[in-house]
Amino acid sequence: MDVVFNQVFAGLSFASILLIIALGLAIIYGTMGVINLAHGEFVMLGAYATWALQSFAGIGVVTALPLVFVAVAAVGWIIEKGIVQWLYHRPLDTILATWGIGIILQQAIRMGVGAESKFVRGPDWLSGNIEIGTLVMSNYRIFVIVFSVAVLTGTWLLMTRTEFGMKLRAVIQNRGISECYGIEAKRVYSVTFAYGAGLAGIAGALITPLFSTIPTMGTGLVVDAFLVVIAGGLGSLVGTAAAAMLIGEVTALFSIVINDTLGRIAVLAGIILLIRFRPRGLFPADTRR
Amino acid sequence: MTNKLSYDIIGLALFAAVILFGVPAFFGYDGFELNTFSRYLSLAIVSMALALSWGTAGLLNLGQAATFGMGSYAMAMHLKLKASGEGLPDFMGWNNVETLPALWVPFHSLTFTLLAGLLIPAAVGGLIAIFMFRARIAGVFVAVITLAFLVAFQLLVIEQQGFTGGQNGLTGLAQLELFGWTVDIYATSFYYLVGICLMVALTVGLYLTHSKFGLILRAIREDADRTRYFGYNVANYQTVIFCISAGLAGWAGMLYALVLEFASPTYMSVSFSLAIVIWCAVGGRESVLAAAAGAILVNLAENRLSDVFVEGWHMMLGVLFLLVVMFMPRGIYGVIVDAGRALRRKGGGDAEEPAYDASLKSKQEG
Amino acid sequence: MAQLEVRDLHVVFGGLRAVDGMTFDVEKGEILCLLGPNGAGKSTTLDLICGKTQPTGGSIRFQETEISQMMEFQRARLGVGRKFQVPSVYKELSVAENLSVARSMKPGIWHALTAPAVRRSKRMREILDLVGLADKTEEPAGNLSHGETQWLEIAMLIAQDSRLILMDEPTAGMTIQETARTADIFRSLSENHTLIVVEHDMSFVRTVADRIIVMNQGTLLAEGSIEEIEENEAVKTAYLGH
Repeated sequence: MDVVFNQVFAGLSFASILLIIALGLAIIYGTMGVINLAHGEFVMLGAYATWALQSFAGIGVVTALPLVFVAVAAVGWIIEKGIVQWLYHRPLDTILATWGIGIILQQAIRMGVGAESKFVRGPDWLSGNIEIGTLVMSNYRIFVIVFSVAVLTGTWLLMTRTEFGMKLRAVIQNRGISECYGIEAKRVYSVTFAYGAGLAGIAGALITPLFSTIPTMGTGLVVDAFLVVIAGGLGSLVGTAAAAMLIGEVTALFSIVINDTLGRIAVLAGIILLIRFRPRGLFPADTRR
Repeated sequence: MTNKLSYDIIGLALFAAVILFGVPAFFGYDGFELNTFSRYLSLAIVSMALALSWGTAGLLNLGQAATFGMGSYAMAMHLKLKASGEGLPDFMGWNNVETLPALWVPFHSLTFTLLAGLLIPAAVGGLIAIFMFRARIAGVFVAVITLAFLVAFQLLVIEQQGFTGGQNGLTGLAQLELFGWTVDIYATSFYYLVGICLMVALTVGLYLTHSKFGLILRAIREDADRTRYFGYNVANYQTVIFCISAGLAGWAGMLYALVLEFASPTYMSVSFSLAIVIWCAVGGRESVLAAAAGAILVNLAENRLSDVFVEGWHMMLGVLFLLVVMFMPRGIYGVIVDAGRALRRKGGGDAEEPAYDASLKSKQEG
Repeated sequence: MAQLEVRDLHVVFGGLRAVDGMTFDVEKGEILCLLGPNGAGKSTTLDLICGKTQPTGGSIRFQETEISQMMEFQRARLGVGRKFQVPSVYKELSVAENLSVARSMKPGIWHALTAPAVRRSKRMREILDLVGLADKTEEPAGNLSHGETQWLEIAMLIAQDSRLILMDEPTAGMTIQETARTADIFRSLSENHTLIVVEHDMSFVRTVADRIIVMNQGTLLAEGSIEEIEENEAVKTAYLGH
């Protein structure tokens, strides 16, 4: 039983990181219809940026978060401006282009930093544990959970309470008409892509003390995050959050019930079945399209 | 159309002349040199198979490597059984498998193996296709489902060590005996075998693209709904081309396992599937000939350049792919077609324009 | 027995009754025009007959076969053809190829696998001459002018040779001469085909319609000849809002 509770808690912290990755992916897909296969590499860049900040400048993980966000968002912005924005009318080609970008980023890190795994120390002030009975919860994982809730809330406020969010929703509904009212859709797209990339960067930073940092780390994460997006349904932040919890927990529990590989196969089968039978997600936004 | 057909027949003839006569002569009929080239030719088959589903029907199959891998394992299983004689394949012993799994038994037969390498991938491709296309899954979701299938299938193959050899794949294979002829992969005759397979595959591909079947697929690619209102069962058309494409990929996989003398789960990796997409995109996905040429050219370049830039090659491949997607979405084929059109316009322009004016005038008067 | 019998047809979109209990017959060789204000459910009625939309209730019998639960391609094979409001030709295919796709008497895969992409037949020549595209057979449809595109679409409908043709605003954007020529083509089509036409251009309706159905808010408001409709009080109220 203890194993189960501890696993549920571990699953919750993994789900929180998954949620941040999936939020970025969902915002990019929901706004521009781009399935960003380079998203996992944005996570990886975030992790390497954190590692670099810690080993060369002595900046801790938590302090690094805003810096990593800005850095990866800038990379995302450049990629959107330079490549993705030319392909919006060719959705299949955006898949290919972002795949290519992913390869290039991964290879760049492998050549520049090396293929061996890097380790990042968690912050000292979060190093302890809270113990309730036999349940051991590390402070850092609690921080991750709280932080992801904050990111979710922040994103929700950004989407619903700011002028940018209003413009963004307008562009999602109808790009042509929004432009007639003076909204610069191109700018909205760039900023959204950068924001999504920045979120992936944050997730990469948060994950560094928990997993080892290697060039291929993003590939597996993006698959799970993609499942979250599909399961959550487009345009629904609550759905994305619920799906992240569901998939984080299912993955965690699968790994104790059956082995890891079969768990991953089950996740992939889940993606396939969801697209086939519930293409609008488990929690579809209640609008007529 | 007849014009296009005659261009394609000339193209195929030129291609066959280069592959079957030019290349062997260039390498002085040296079996070892030609062995490398027969590897490219088998990869050309899987690339042209992707062009059939992606270029013609607009269905981007990112799981092409899975069906390719199935073919290669079918061949390797046969050769592994042959190498093991009466006993069990060695890796099964290491994994405490004591009797030959039922799945392996029929692969003692060469005929079964050759059919299985073609038909099992085709059947699997067909099942996935029925599953997707009955529900009218289209566009990017075809790519995502086939990609997810590929990753799951590769994990399964690695996981089931006792049946598949796991991460190591199937090694230590015997030589193929094809109806009394022992296939020596370092002989020129093997090169011709692979070359003829490629030519047969290309002929099938060209026949399909120039038939009404190919035309309907292009119509579906452009507007599936409209095509339904003409009475065509769109899902069936898509399923058939997926089957054919998967079967050809399996056939290519069998040849590939022969050339490399082993089968490995890396043949089913995401990066291998991406490589197939790259070859097809560089050559030009609209033409099976161009896609085959793309596979040969990129692999030739990889062979020459990866010695010079060991790590950098992958980077260059990624950049090349990105450039092709952005600036040459129709690949080398598109560049050639556009250049040809521009030339014709320049050459025949003086003759054409007055005729056009005249027809315009007669319309206005009428 | 009428060729097409529609009985108590319903469809609901998220609470909106787009078509609400339509009942009507169409006789073989007839040209029926559907009139009505925007949102009356005219296009939706065509969508229901061709299978683009599934009805929530009612029946559609075509040549004594119930078709309301069939897939689009099955209905098309029985002889229900559709022309959409937006010209929808295959822009990447040539004119000849467009016609070849449209000639779909044998839509099965086996036939498609054994036939060439384009078969130059006498019939195809005739159709191309009729719409004036004979000298553009190799041109990609995307290069045609707006008017030519519409002619190509009409040529495709003739090539498809459906017994029942559903048309959504076929003359939208046409010049007066083109409209007159379209009316001629429609009259000659009705010798062998049945037509249901959604149209706003009253002068066109006057020339071609054998019978008119006026729809309002998803229901049948009036039915009859052009004279009867023009005298109908309910129609005047619906159009003028009195």
